[in-house]
Amino acid sequence: MAPAKDSLFRSVDMTLTQLYVANEIGREVASALGEVGCMQFRDLNPDTTAFQRTFTQEIRRLDNVERQLNYFRAQMEKNDVGMRPIYDFNHTLAAPSASEIDELADRSQSLEQRIQGLNDSYETLKKRETELTEWRWVLREAGGFFDRARGQTEEIRQSIDSSDDAPLLRDVEQANGSTDARGQQSFSVMNIGFVAGVIPRERMGAFERILWRTLRGNLYMNQSEIPDPIVDPEKNEEVHKNVFVIFAHGKEVIAKIRKISESLGADIYNVDENSELRRDQIHEVNNRIQDITNVLSNTKRTLDAELTQIGRSLAAWMIVIKKEKAVYQTLNRFSYDPARKTLVAEAWCPTNSLGLVKSTLQDVNDRAGLSVPTIVNQVKTSKTPPTYNRTNKFTLGFQTIIDAYGTAKYTEINPGLPTIVTFPFLFAVMFGDFGHGAIMALAAVAMIYWEKPLQRGKQDELFSMAFYGRYIMLMMGIFSMYTGVIYCDVFSKELPLFPSMWEWQFPDNYEAGQGTVTAKRVEGYTYPFGMDWRWHDTENDLLFSNSYKMKLSIIMGWAHMTYSLCLSYINARHFKTPIDIFGNFLPGMIFFQSIFGYLVFTIIYKWSIDWYAIGQQPPGLLNMLIYMFLSPGTVEEQLYSGQGPIQVILVLLALAMVPILLFLKPFYLRWEHNRARAMGYRGIGETTTVSALDAEDDEEGRHSQANGRPSADSEMDGGAMITQDIGGGEEGHEEFEFSEVMIHQVIHTIEFCLNCVSHTASYLRLWALSLAHQQLSIVLWSMTLANAFAFDGALGIFVIFVFFVLWFALTVAVLVVMEGTSAMLHSLRLHWVEAMSKHFMGDGIPFEPFSFEIMLEDEMTELK
Amino acid sequence: MANGWSLIISIVFIIVFSAAAWFFSPKGDTQTVWRSTLILSAWSCWLMWAITFLAQWHPLIMPERSDLRPEYHNGPVKGGGSMF
Repeated sequence: MAPAKDSLFRSVDMTLTQLYVANEIGREVASALGEVGCMQFRDLNPDTTAFQRTFTQEIRRLDNVERQLNYFRAQMEKNDVGMRPIYDFNHTLAAPSASEIDELADRSQSLEQRIQGLNDSYETLKKRETELTEWRWVLREAGGFFDRARGQTEEIRQSIDSSDDAPLLRDVEQANGSTDARGQQSFSVMNIGFVAGVIPRERMGAFERILWRTLRGNLYMNQSEIPDPIVDPEKNEEVHKNVFVIFAHGKEVIAKIRKISESLGADIYNVDENSELRRDQIHEVNNRIQDITNVLSNTKRTLDAELTQIGRSLAAWMIVIKKEKAVYQTLNRFSYDPARKTLVAEAWCPTNSLGLVKSTLQDVNDRAGLSVPTIVNQVKTSKTPPTYNRTNKFTLGFQTIIDAYGTAKYTEINPGLPTIVTFPFLFAVMFGDFGHGAIMALAAVAMIYWEKPLQRGKQDELFSMAFYGRYIMLMMGIFSMYTGVIYCDVFSKELPLFPSMWEWQFPDNYEAGQGTVTAKRVEGYTYPFGMDWRWHDTENDLLFSNSYKMKLSIIMGWAHMTYSLCLSYINARHFKTPIDIFGNFLPGMIFFQSIFGYLVFTIIYKWSIDWYAIGQQPPGLLNMLIYMFLSPGTVEEQLYSGQGPIQVILVLLALAMVPILLFLKPFYLRWEHNRARAMGYRGIGETTTVSALDAEDDEEGRHSQANGRPSADSEMDGGAMITQDIGGGEEGHEEFEFSEVMIHQVIHTIEFCLNCVSHTASYLRLWALSLAHQQLSIVLWSMTLANAFAFDGALGIFVIFVFFVLWFALTVAVLVVMEGTSAMLHSLRLHWVEAMSKHFMGDGIPFEPFSFEIMLEDEMTELK
Repeated sequence: MANGWSLIISIVFIIVFSAAAWFFSPKGDTQTVWRSTLILSAWSCWLMWAITFLAQWHPLIMPERSDLRPEYHNGPVKGGGSMF
């Protein structure tokens, strides 16, 4: 039997396949299947830890290569070297051979060493350069202190001589008592030492405070700021630093100061107090800086060249390595048959792709020149296959909406198909405005037209969301334009497509502002398409559109829910569970239609009757529906003759459906279960009682099992419990439990009946949001552009321009983006809750194929 | 002119459109999507139109306004001086 064609209507048919692959070509096979990307491999060694698996060694090696490649990338980013984008490469990079991978691994190993070496020397040089620069600053700044201080030595000495309360320098005096005033007074003679260096500016305060406290003020400190920031080569950030010189007295004190400054992150530099020596030092430092700068620029050039070279093929390498890693991870899921030297794999595969898989495997075999073919077996299984819907770029967005709610059960009806229309349409009912719809549709068209370049560019979060849903937006825009024409709204203004059905009836001698004018209908003519534009700006516009939109939303909701409910019928047919038709679908449908189907009928009936022509008062439908339940049979305002009995019948019909809904399915299931039991069927893995007294117990045993449960006392009389665990660990048959089924059905019934009411009410959001949208756009118009038209002349041009910009910006931001988002969320809810609760089972397992394309999708965005 | 017959005519039109959409949808993988989208769109749009038509078929209230100026009385442009 040829498998049915795949469509979005149901998830595709899946087959569990078994592959027997010769060990030699395991890697090639997995890689080829990754390119095909339609197989979900089951883990055949679930008990083995990640470290014990066969190909852990290879994965580790590839991890290392990947780390090296990432290192190159980080280095390229650090050095602002561009990478050739991924799109420049042939998209289908052929699977590399094992030797190519080895070569790549070796190459990246040596490249890493080279880059690391270059980097290290670059960093060392850079550090050296920074140190030299700092030293130069210290020499320059500290030199200034010395020169200033030297001019004052005389004064210092005098002040010491004249006053006795200078204990600090007394020793100096004694030690150097014999030294008379000389021209060249040096500090060392006075036994005053100093420490010079640089320290980050933000630490300066703490540094001063600590020094002051530990030395009790016995120091003289000078500092100045370095105007240029100093670049820290390790962190590559700029730091502002200060030069300081501290003069203090005594070797221990100097040592202490050194220690404190080092602990605070200061760098201490050697400065000679002799000004000539200092000049030499500066000279030397300058020379060294010159040399280092030369070497640095050379190193940098080599590094850049090397990185540019790597950048040309880095993206391709990364993809190759990622693919290779994924291949080994997949191979780890295979089990190895040592006797036959084959790898055994089990995978879910769409039945329609089996041919492709087989031919791919054949190709791989031929290329390897192996005589042993790769065997593909189809396995029959009771396991639930994963749910997989084939999407294209148009349907993907809509399917994502559904999948975000839940994964559909295998081959149940996929709500994604009708959602393509219903989602944007319900959105449009709330967003109905031709102009706003056109803006949205144009934005979507632009995104679709420039699809490729936009896909490659970097996108922020909001834009990427809109871009992902560009086809949804297109549909939403188109439908909004349609509903806009129906509502007769373009940016809150009317759209007079046809002659109006209303004519103003002015009283004689009417003058402006003389009271209310009422329109008269053109005889026998109904406005042919959408709302009559004459309702715009009238005083009772809201009165009319309220009633119209409320009824519209009820009818729309009824249609949507009836449609969704019908899908549950098709599901029941497909899964061959007629009880779901008779126990759930039919009573549910009758219940729903006899209340809300009837309501829709009365709405339409009321519209179709010309109440003025027959001279009757039109009855209120809301009261009718309420009194239909409160006092069945009595009709206060008659809609049609025979209304009372019909309503009684409908109410009774609806009520009669409740017990059917409640009891039919559980009791049918119990009956079916008991019948199967009576015929001697047992579930696999079920507990059975084996008794020595088999024949005698037979009668009793059947009795006890009639309620679906083997009673406890039957095992007391010598029977041994034997539990057969066939297919260990796999999902077995669930045991029938009547109470569980009953509870489930009770919940379903209560939910269904209450939801019929609440969900219908929920569709009134269509009314509320479309009214709100319309009113908001009217308010925006009258607060901005309408005011601008009051001006004329040159000022008018200017004012209209300014107000137009304001109006347009607000229209896009508030009415299209914000209102659009809110309408979208409401439409989303109507689908997830109101519609999908009618038929969606959603206990499926998503299909996650081993596919390079899917795996690399994230990488692509990263490697842009 | 537009009257009760337009409902029937429009239904016939939509049925013909749906049939055409069913038979002329492009073959291949996307056939189901084409069919479902075209037919469902057609019926949704028709429903919207029909509701609007029905609501105005036998209207119970008439438009009323007091800011009219008789000189514009049946032209498409109307409204008080401040509006335009």
